Amino acid sequence: MSKKFIQRLGLKDKLLALIVPLLVLAAWQGAVSQKLCSDLILTPPLTLLNTLVELAQSGDLTLNILASLKRVMIGFLLGGTSGFVLGILMALSPFLNSIFGPLIKALQQVPEFAWMPLIIMFLGIDESAKYFFVAIGAFYPMVLNTYQGVSGVPEKYHELARVFDYKSFRYLFKVIIPSALPSIITGIRLSLGLSWMFVVGAELFGSDSGVGYLMTWGRAVFQIDLVMAGLILVGVIGFAMNVLLEIAEKRFLLWREPVDGRPV
Amino acid sequence: MPNNKGTLQIRNLSKSFIVDNNPLQILNDINLTVHSGAFVTIVGSSGCGKTTLLRIMLGLENHYTGEALIDGKQIIGPGSDRGIVFQDHRLLPWLTVGENVAFGLDKLKRKEKKLLVDEHLKLVGLNGFESAYPSQLSGGMAQRVAIARALASKPEILLLDEPLGALDALTRMYMQQELERLWLLEKITMIMVTHDIDEAIYLSDKVVIMSSRPGVIKKIIDVPLSRPRDRASSDFTRIKAEILEEFHLGTEYPFAYAI
Repeated sequence: MSKKFIQRLGLKDKLLALIVPLLVLAAWQGAVSQKLCSDLILTPPLTLLNTLVELAQSGDLTLNILASLKRVMIGFLLGGTSGFVLGILMALSPFLNSIFGPLIKALQQVPEFAWMPLIIMFLGIDESAKYFFVAIGAFYPMVLNTYQGVSGVPEKYHELARVFDYKSFRYLFKVIIPSALPSIITGIRLSLGLSWMFVVGAELFGSDSGVGYLMTWGRAVFQIDLVMAGLILVGVIGFAMNVLLEIAEKRFLLWREPVDGRPV
Repeated sequence: MPNNKGTLQIRNLSKSFIVDNNPLQILNDINLTVHSGAFVTIVGSSGCGKTTLLRIMLGLENHYTGEALIDGKQIIGPGSDRGIVFQDHRLLPWLTVGENVAFGLDKLKRKEKKLLVDEHLKLVGLNGFESAYPSQLSGGMAQRVAIARALASKPEILLLDEPLGALDALTRMYMQQELERLWLLEKITMIMVTHDIDEAIYLSDKVVIMSSRPGVIKKIIDVPLSRPRDRASSDFTRIKAEILEEFHLGTEYPFAYAI
């Protein structure tokens, strides 16, 4: 691989980012091999890898990941969509903004997990409780970023819409939403990120499937490797979702970057 | 095609804004008639209300006294009979050049739209650029796209609000030639606001001179020169001197030679 190619892919930065994790893994493996620490407390990385492979082979891995992803998607769609719609309405109507704005800001101060007892009282610990819990997390970043994006649409575009007689839905979909899109996409990224955090949280509280369940189960039967495997899974999947969204963002917002005169 | 459309009449028009609870007179008793197919320029120092006057013609400003008529009908808002080119090109950055030109053609069928877009991009010399994004264009190119967008919906009157103000001097002169070419070709009324006196003389049949506080029309000067105009001709210079005189910028010996 030529130097130039590595530079173009930004591989250098990516390799640099791996240095610390690899050093930690090496020290970790070394500490356990040298009996500096009991391998009952600190599972060696190789054992961890083994656990992950076993989980994958038994099908438990896919099953639990899918269970978590399903909850994320449903919760995110519920919370994200309502945040998106309310954000637009609030930005377009000062009346609705006066009604909902302060309320949302106040409710946002409530830590997400403080909702848990209430949710359990009303919805129990079944799936709908988890959807709702995730939806709350997904709601705030979406409503705030959509609101910010739509209220930030420059006056000159509103004027242009008036000149060319764009009204109601045509106005919304052809002018307002595209103009607010960078902010909306930021909202989606934050919203999905929080959804993923909260689904694991919800699964820790009471669940019979999911990545979070894997970890509580591991703790209950004192299988530290399972707990750690869960942690790694949560990190890797969250990271992967973020990378995918970044790629999508670049695609959608192609127009933001001048592409040195080359026709696209 | 003989066409008498695109006549603009302003009668006894006055407008004031409320600033700090006090009314501030912006335009005072404006009377102006622009005949069909004419090129008229409005010049004046900043703050004389020339842009406000243009916005009234466009239909974006509504509260005023007096009348603003197009072909005898009161202006009640923006309409497809008028096109506008703003000083900032105001292209939508998320749309390609082609989609921007088609922005005012949303109600047409895809095929008709494509024809009009092609026709007007060719008109401004940008065929082949339809899939580029505005961020990839130079200032002059972007402004040409904005002109194509305004012309694509076939207006009777094209309003131009300092359209070349943000361009460098050479691009600007080139674009003036382009505007003249388009005006001769399309045979529509064009009304332009500018603060560049050379530009006004080069392009217009009539130069409307406004002065500020409150904005009034000070004088309307005819430019009876044949086209294309020579910016260095003595007639051109004479008219320029006449206009500068209105701004108290005249020299005593406008024809002095430097040796």
